[in-house]
Amino acid sequence: MDVAEKSETIYVKEMDDYKKMVEISVENLGVSFTDKEGGAPVVALQNINLEIMQGEFISLLGPSGCGKTTLLRTIADLQQPTSGKISVRGESPREIRSQKKYGIVFQNPVLYEWRTVRRNVCMPMEMMGIPKRDRTARVTKMLELVGLMEFGKKYPHELSGGMQQRVGIARALAIQPEILLMDEPFSALDEFTKEKLHEDLLRIWKKTNKTILFVTHNIQEAVFLSDRVVVLSPHPGRVSAVVDINLERPRDLSIKSSPEFNALVTKVRNSFEGV
Amino acid sequence: MEKVKKALTSNKMVTFVWVLGLIGVWEIGATVIAQSKRTPENVLPHLYQILDSVFSDKLINSTQTALQVVLSNAGITLIRALIGFLIGIAIGFILAFFMSMFKLVEKTFFPYLMIIQMIPILGMAPIILAVTKNIDSSRIVIAAILTFYPVATNTLAGFKAVEKEKRELMYSISATNFQIYSKLMVPSCMPYFFTGLKIAAPMAITASILVDTLQGGGGLGTMLSQSLKHAMSIYVFWQIVFFSAIIGILSYYLMVVIEKLLSPYKRIKKAKKGVSVVGD
Repeated sequence: MDVAEKSETIYVKEMDDYKKMVEISVENLGVSFTDKEGGAPVVALQNINLEIMQGEFISLLGPSGCGKTTLLRTIADLQQPTSGKISVRGESPREIRSQKKYGIVFQNPVLYEWRTVRRNVCMPMEMMGIPKRDRTARVTKMLELVGLMEFGKKYPHELSGGMQQRVGIARALAIQPEILLMDEPFSALDEFTKEKLHEDLLRIWKKTNKTILFVTHNIQEAVFLSDRVVVLSPHPGRVSAVVDINLERPRDLSIKSSPEFNALVTKVRNSFEGV
Repeated sequence: MEKVKKALTSNKMVTFVWVLGLIGVWEIGATVIAQSKRTPENVLPHLYQILDSVFSDKLINSTQTALQVVLSNAGITLIRALIGFLIGIAIGFILAFFMSMFKLVEKTFFPYLMIIQMIPILGMAPIILAVTKNIDSSRIVIAAILTFYPVATNTLAGFKAVEKEKRELMYSISATNFQIYSKLMVPSCMPYFFTGLKIAAPMAITASILVDTLQGGGGLGTMLSQSLKHAMSIYVFWQIVFFSAIIGILSYYLMVVIEKLLSPYKRIKKAKKGVSVVGD
């Protein structure tokens, strides 16, 4: 085997590895909404190309109306694309959804107020027909992970907003999804609660190795949490930049005052178009 | 001082003042009537006279005292009201379920449900009686008709009030329709469903009494009209008035109690400030 051939082989092997690593690939995606009165369709997303790696923490960042939530919803199969294609591990979002590989956390905690915290976390597992003993064990593990061990028997309305959102995260993780989709999960929380949850989320992410797709309109939040920040601009929604966040991990709140952090925040801020 | 103020503005206090006020107005009225009419008990007797008749052991027909007449006839009426109520709940709930499952059913039925509700009960009752030819089944049917509408509309409103995100969460884990209804839609519409029941329960009783008055054969309404026509002691009428008012109110509170028993989360008050600090 000569040198050229050998390097070729290595190249192919790397390509294969690379392909395996890609978790979600979005190609030429377009999403438009038609209004009911038959007016011109509103283009929410246009020509989106994006590859999300396995185990990556990626943020979709942009102002309201940039289609960041629409992109997440389309990946989650809650919204159908008008054009283009999304594949997740080589399959369609619908197949991935029916295999229950998505865990979703919404902006509101969306807890079932008639169920205790434990039974809220348990709910998706009940639907999946997981045996009761496994469910109980997993719920305990999840509550431990999000730091709500003592609150299992409480009802949602007895908890603060931050704790409710933790329950939402525990519930999403309980079904052991491959991909965690988070749609502005902390935007309704106060700054102190938010920072605490940021740290906790990073800890949970490291422990569980999930791919996390995180939608936000908060630049600091995106930079602090992510490996990469996808900057979306509105009218029509499009990717205006993808910024690599090469800050060291594990990160704690102290990096927020570092010059590197602030340089990245500025870089992200400057990459918006037409806002 | 603070405590006195709190006690004076509490709900119980308000109720107490209302009851006291009503008794006062009633008694003033009764005193005025007693001086101006020849048979004041036909217009407005004193409350103590009514109470007196409740505990009196004077027979008003060959075998029964006034209270016995009321209670034995109440049984017939209330059981029919209850059966009608239960049938109405079932129909109302099933209808709401199908209306929320299929848009077409909602579009087909909903506008006409309102029309049924607009027909005055007094107009509907004779028709139902003519169709069923039986006072007992008429009571049941009328009670059911009056019950199913508030139950159906409130339950449907409950189904519609389920947040989109809650349904999407179900969708995201590919829940079946059965799971969506059994785990999400039905439990979350319960407060609305019970609102329907709270409206319907006193109505079912009222309807059942009203239908009694159309024909003999026992029941509170029959006794009521006989008493008004002086076929028996007028105090039977007054007792029935109070009895049915109390039963109506009790039926409402019975629904409140059942709801609380079925939804334990409602028994717990909002988070105290101390709790939320712990988690964040």
